[in-house]
Amino acid sequence: MLKLAVPTGDLRAAVARVLTAAGLRCDEYAAGSRALRLRLSERADVALRVFREKDIPIQVALGNYDLGICSAAWVAELQARYPQDDVMLLRPLDFGHHHLVVAAAPETLRRRGPVRGWAGARGVRIVSEFPGLAERFARRMRLARYVVLPVWGAAEAYPPEDADLAVLAVQDEAEVVAAGLEPVYTIMDGSAWLIGSRRSLAARDLSPVLGPLLRLPGPEGSHRAPAFPRAAWAPGEPSPRPATTPLPHVAAGAGEEVGVRASALVRLALPDGHAQRHTYAALRDAGLVFEGYGETTCVRRPVSGIEGLEVKVIRPQDMPQQVALGHFDLAITGRDWLLDHRYQFPSSPVVEVLDLGRSRYTIAAAVSEDVPADTLAGALAYWRAQGRTVIRVASEYPNIADHFARWRHLGRYRIVPVNGASEAFVPEDSEILIEGSETGASFRANRLKVIERVFESTNCVIARAGVTTGPRQALIERLLEQLRSVALTPGKAGADSGPPRQGRGTGRVLPGPAGPGLSRR
Amino acid sequence: MQSAIEPLRSPGMRDLPPEHMRRFRRIEQAFREELLAWGYEEIRTPTIEYLHLFTSAGTLSPHLLERVYSFLDWDGWSGERVVLRPDSTIPAARFYRERMDGGLAKLFYVQNIFRFAQGDQPRELWQCGAEIYGPSWPAGDVELLSAGRRVLQRLGIADVRVRLSHTGVLRALLARAGFSPEEQVERYDRLLDGDLSAVHEIEERLPELGASLHLLVDLTGTDVGYLDNIRAGFAVAVPEMGPALDELTLVARALAVLECPFEIVMLLARDFEYYTGPVFRFVTPDGTALGGGGRYDALVRRPTGEAVPACGFALFMERVGALLPEPEPERGGVVYVEPAAVTPESMGLALAMAEQLQEAGFCAELVGSRRRPACRWVLTVDAAGGPHRYRLHDLDSGEQLTAASMDVIFATLGRGRC
Repeated sequence: MLKLAVPTGDLRAAVARVLTAAGLRCDEYAAGSRALRLRLSERADVALRVFREKDIPIQVALGNYDLGICSAAWVAELQARYPQDDVMLLRPLDFGHHHLVVAAAPETLRRRGPVRGWAGARGVRIVSEFPGLAERFARRMRLARYVVLPVWGAAEAYPPEDADLAVLAVQDEAEVVAAGLEPVYTIMDGSAWLIGSRRSLAARDLSPVLGPLLRLPGPEGSHRAPAFPRAAWAPGEPSPRPATTPLPHVAAGAGEEVGVRASALVRLALPDGHAQRHTYAALRDAGLVFEGYGETTCVRRPVSGIEGLEVKVIRPQDMPQQVALGHFDLAITGRDWLLDHRYQFPSSPVVEVLDLGRSRYTIAAAVSEDVPADTLAGALAYWRAQGRTVIRVASEYPNIADHFARWRHLGRYRIVPVNGASEAFVPEDSEILIEGSETGASFRANRLKVIERVFESTNCVIARAGVTTGPRQALIERLLEQLRSVALTPGKAGADSGPPRQGRGTGRVLPGPAGPGLSRR
Repeated sequence: MQSAIEPLRSPGMRDLPPEHMRRFRRIEQAFREELLAWGYEEIRTPTIEYLHLFTSAGTLSPHLLERVYSFLDWDGWSGERVVLRPDSTIPAARFYRERMDGGLAKLFYVQNIFRFAQGDQPRELWQCGAEIYGPSWPAGDVELLSAGRRVLQRLGIADVRVRLSHTGVLRALLARAGFSPEEQVERYDRLLDGDLSAVHEIEERLPELGASLHLLVDLTGTDVGYLDNIRAGFAVAVPEMGPALDELTLVARALAVLECPFEIVMLLARDFEYYTGPVFRFVTPDGTALGGGGRYDALVRRPTGEAVPACGFALFMERVGALLPEPEPERGGVVYVEPAAVTPESMGLALAMAEQLQEAGFCAELVGSRRRPACRWVLTVDAAGGPHRYRLHDLDSGEQLTAASMDVIFATLGRGRC
């Protein structure tokens, strides 16, 4: 069976057209089917697997899939993190054109000057969905001391308050400008690419799929892989590489702290995506309506209408770290993301200050229905009897999964971090999936069964531990009080509360991040 | 027979079995003795350091930074990464800055560094290194060179040449050709890789050069006269080369006085940004570099911002160890003490005798395999044996001796003290 990884999301329609043009039609994929494992309409020997785009180069590199289609930027990100990876760029496709740019807020550039002069600056914060490329950029810039803040999305929302630079994938410069930023460096230009596993290309006959795709008319220009970095500074500008500078810590005082961190305002982070509807409902019930933050639509900086309060919309996954850093005083996120953060950083100062009791779902360990066991121990015994020495655990929560694997003594295991479309990882690409589910329907639809409940997650307000005083504290208390009044507690289920709550500890097998199970490997 | 057991060792990581540890300790001992004799003090720096120590220009090259093991620590929620020490010089410089008073310091270390390598190539490497912080030119450079060479001599590795270089020579040339600092690094690396197009490019930019650049990049000098030739060929067109050539000449002349064979190679050090003065390598006849170092006056600064001159060198322990002969087992003439019967009295007596033997300078063991040649003697102890309380068996000669007291045993063993 020849295995082809294809993307969900923005590229889906274009990929479906290319497959059809190459005689590899998949009607279900073209129609936007929610199924994640598909077969070509006219060929039984080719399996399609739908992934989030970001996961495709990883899966191809692992050799789980022979070929894949995804943006060049995600391949570059993988190669930046793992230069010896096993992915080969085969040919560009004439869609999905994008530029990977470094952008900054105009006020940052006015205050600090052009980015090319930042070498030696300390404390530069770079935010990106592409942390590997951001790291490489920082190294090439010879920044004296920097942090790269990996985010799940909305990187453009961070500068200037919460980051100094953002590495963004955009279609054109106008997209950067529309976010209120200025592009200062182009890391690469790219498009969608057909990629292949080196191992598969070396050892298997992929020609039934490879041939038709390679024969398609290509875009203008060569088929050379995009170089990193393709573009330098604007023509005529000096190179970004500074003259030799001394060891940064030794040159105390030589670098300048970059960034604007102090704020007299109370800063509140609200989530976008799936969590938005529940959060909007809680805010609305509490009488907190922010212009630009609705049930399904939002802008990045809604108008708070409350004196002293600033609101920003970011991904819920990224909130714990942002609160830990002191960028936000309060944030509304899921307990799942808080725990994932706390498992990664046990000494993080972020704590849950209010359980809103909404957006309730169970984080559970699920396995294939075909596994003849009802307990984790039974499943492990089954896999070991099958000769499987490494247990693969796929999850959007890699730190929870890692902790689960250690706490439950899985032995030799491997965490497969995924970015979505996760139910189809089991059984081919992992033995266990750790995933959230409100009703279990998505598990059942993908022939999975829950083998262990890990914990129950609801949305909650998080904050940085420690004492804030003065008017800011008064405002924080007022906001919390308003939200507390609408928090759903057992027996007070609201329209969106999901299954009745069975108590906080029900089904929870993991200790808290400060619990005895949290060992340092 | 090929083992069917799945390997559990992580790729690139090495066990050090007893025979390797004997080599390791021998190198370490020779290095420590040599450096202590020169007045250096031993330090050890942590395995984990902040990544930012290594990311600035003038520290690790971007190429090397691609291979470091960096990660977010358990408390790394700020996003600041830490790294498994990929180099020892920079941590030693941090140590000097944080722990020393800013005066002259002579430090040495024996520790491991971690760098990713392909396949099962070693990812953990061991170094013996020494650094001098504070004004030390030129005596420090010569002292380090001599100390390194003498360590190798102590280990019986006599056939070693010293290769000398000075990055200032090519830096002056490339700057005169109008290359930016970044371009200088790139051109230097190309020259190092034998890319002749870089030679042509420089020659086109500097038509006034008095001699072909091949004199500089293709020749290996074996005498100080080579440096005079370079001076004659390029000093008029690139007078900025002068100080670097003078420094190199001084070190080369000192080696000539020591009758130490040396070679002068202008393209030697990969870390072009790092070194500011003379650079050296210890190489075997087949070209294997056993170690090296040089002067790096731009890396370390006092809290006031003032630069601290520095120089240092390191030996690569794996490569040095590979040249050492198979070491003899450390122990010989081991006395295996066995009770004649498993009774508390005999066990207690055997234990007491083993301790007595050890205090008298013998190697004695209660648990042993009687493996030869390490174990030569078997002393059987019988608490109820009366005149046959002690029975000594010499495995070498086959002779046996019985005695009522340990004096006789000690007298016999004295001939084969371990």
